[in-house]
Amino acid sequence: MASVKLTDVKKVYDNKVTAVHDFNLEIQDKEFIVFVGPSGCGKSTTLRMIAGLEDISGGTLEIDGQVVNDLQPKDRDIAMVFQNYALYPHMTVYDNIAFSLRLKKVPEDEVYERVTNAAQILGITEYLTRKPRALSGGQRQRVAIGRAMVRNAKVFLMDEPLSNLDAKLRNQMRAEIIQLRQKLETTFIYVTHDQTEAMTLGDRIVIMRDGIIEQVGTPQEVFDTPVNLFVAGFIGSPQMNFLKASLIRTGDSFSVSLLGVNLALNPDQNEVLTRKGIGSQEVILGIRPEHTAVLFEPDQNAIECTIDVYEMMGSELHLHLTDQNSDRIIVRLPTIDLTREQRQHLSFGNRLFISFPAKVMHLFDPETEKSLIDG
Amino acid sequence: MSEATAKRHMGLRASRAVSNTFIHVLLIVISIIWLIPFVCIVLQSFRVENTGPVGYIIPHQWGTDNYTRLFQTDFPRWYTNTFIAALVTAVLQTVIVLCMSYTLSRFRFKMRQPLMRFMLILGMFPGMLTMIILYRVLKDLGLTQANAVPGLILVYVASSGMGYYVSKGFFDTIPMSLDEAARVDGATRAKILYKIILPLSKPIVIYTVLTAFMGPWGDYVFARYIAFGTSAGKNVAVGLYDWLNKDQISNSYTMFCAGGVLVALPVTILFLFLQKYYVEGVTGGAVKG
Repeated sequence: MASVKLTDVKKVYDNKVTAVHDFNLEIQDKEFIVFVGPSGCGKSTTLRMIAGLEDISGGTLEIDGQVVNDLQPKDRDIAMVFQNYALYPHMTVYDNIAFSLRLKKVPEDEVYERVTNAAQILGITEYLTRKPRALSGGQRQRVAIGRAMVRNAKVFLMDEPLSNLDAKLRNQMRAEIIQLRQKLETTFIYVTHDQTEAMTLGDRIVIMRDGIIEQVGTPQEVFDTPVNLFVAGFIGSPQMNFLKASLIRTGDSFSVSLLGVNLALNPDQNEVLTRKGIGSQEVILGIRPEHTAVLFEPDQNAIECTIDVYEMMGSELHLHLTDQNSDRIIVRLPTIDLTREQRQHLSFGNRLFISFPAKVMHLFDPETEKSLIDG
Repeated sequence: MSEATAKRHMGLRASRAVSNTFIHVLLIVISIIWLIPFVCIVLQSFRVENTGPVGYIIPHQWGTDNYTRLFQTDFPRWYTNTFIAALVTAVLQTVIVLCMSYTLSRFRFKMRQPLMRFMLILGMFPGMLTMIILYRVLKDLGLTQANAVPGLILVYVASSGMGYYVSKGFFDTIPMSLDEAARVDGATRAKILYKIILPLSKPIVIYTVLTAFMGPWGDYVFARYIAFGTSAGKNVAVGLYDWLNKDQISNSYTMFCAGGVLVALPVTILFLFLQKYYVEGVTGGAVKG
């Protein structure tokens, strides 16, 4: 139960490679924060610096107001769950969970109480006498969490804890982590490359690329108002569509011109663009697949596309379309409202029309890749 | 099953039987050749009709005289010398080798790579090269002749850190995240080695102990010149070999054989019990343990 504050934290390896650039973040007490980004973005390195497993090359790291840069991991009062579980293979589940308590010379009856209590919460009581190799992946992961739980540590670190599990088990464990979090009431820092995990677990998400924080915000914020192309493309599945378009300014009102169709922006967007002093320019228009309206008849505000790929997902369809510029557009279409004729129409090579309401349009500068209206 | 496939199956089975028989016969022949010297020595040690070398293997008269005579000579002293040197060396060398291997496997420090390369090159020189200078140094320290045992221990243990290859290779296969988990759990480096790494490396610990014990147990060259001229400082190899010289052989040959059996005994027993681990240890560096 503690706050964590990183100020200009940097990681430079011996071979002069900078893995993390000036990382600034304040994590509140009992907050669940998720570091997310593609592999090699520095998220695990940052977590390992917080754990004390990597030296901090520059900046300060504070846990509960105390600078811990030079403290050994054991003196930082943190608990960590590793991607490959890192269970001690020669010890039973009980001994694995009890290891840290015994090192701290906790009396054996209290060890027993805490281990059995954790085992009960995680549903692994019946496996306490087994060795880790006799457990399934999900059970091992529970043991690893149990080992971290009994410590009652100030901060709970998790380094891609679900990525070794199969899809079904991952969903189940994700739900269990959410429940666990409510029970433990401690500060969580969670690293993942999976944006779904990040969205579902985090109070706030830190999106990283090449050792730099691209955006910090609640799941809703980063989804609704991505500050740049990278964040817009990274968050959301299937990923946001990006189309080349032109922004046209007429007085204080703006419109986006795309394949001969003019889409007017709404007053809020006009105001932001005017305030920023933006004139007519080339832009990248970002549209999420679920925000696209699909029309079966031509419309003056709709773009004509051809169906390339048709993916049936059950409750919805994923359509891969090509517009007249040969840009690829992915559209999510709920199946429930479709008529029989419409379903029959949705097959390879047929024409469709798509349009997007102004409020869901994201505009990015092609040069800086920054958002023109969000953030 | 058609007739053709049945025939082919028969053919396969027959050829496998032939190759199996061939392999087994070959192995039996090799084992016999390999065992002959041992059997000879054991049989000679029980021969009482003649104490010198003879032209036959099976004794005409059996008895344990050679063993009783053995204990009236300096042999018990030599045996004790060898045992103490081997035991102390085994303990010290194991500790040094395992610590060294753990350090080189787990820590990243500036001169790590150059140090490992340096030790590799140094290890390529035969130890005999250092013989003369070592003798001088030990003589100045007063660790030769009657004091040969501590001198020998010093020689055996001094360079043992260089024998880290096999155990470092084994430690490298143990995931680093176990160390990290233990560090987060509150363990010191020494505790990690003692509570996590070593229990997971039983084969390699046993392999290290055995090889560290075997070196001094069978050493001849260093023991010979360090014990030079005294009987009290000899080890078994030197002492027994001296019985084979012209003047003594007719009287001591069967006693020599009895000594040889007693020397082989503890090592044989050790290997019988620890063979499984020894094999795992030898292959452990290459195959994940």
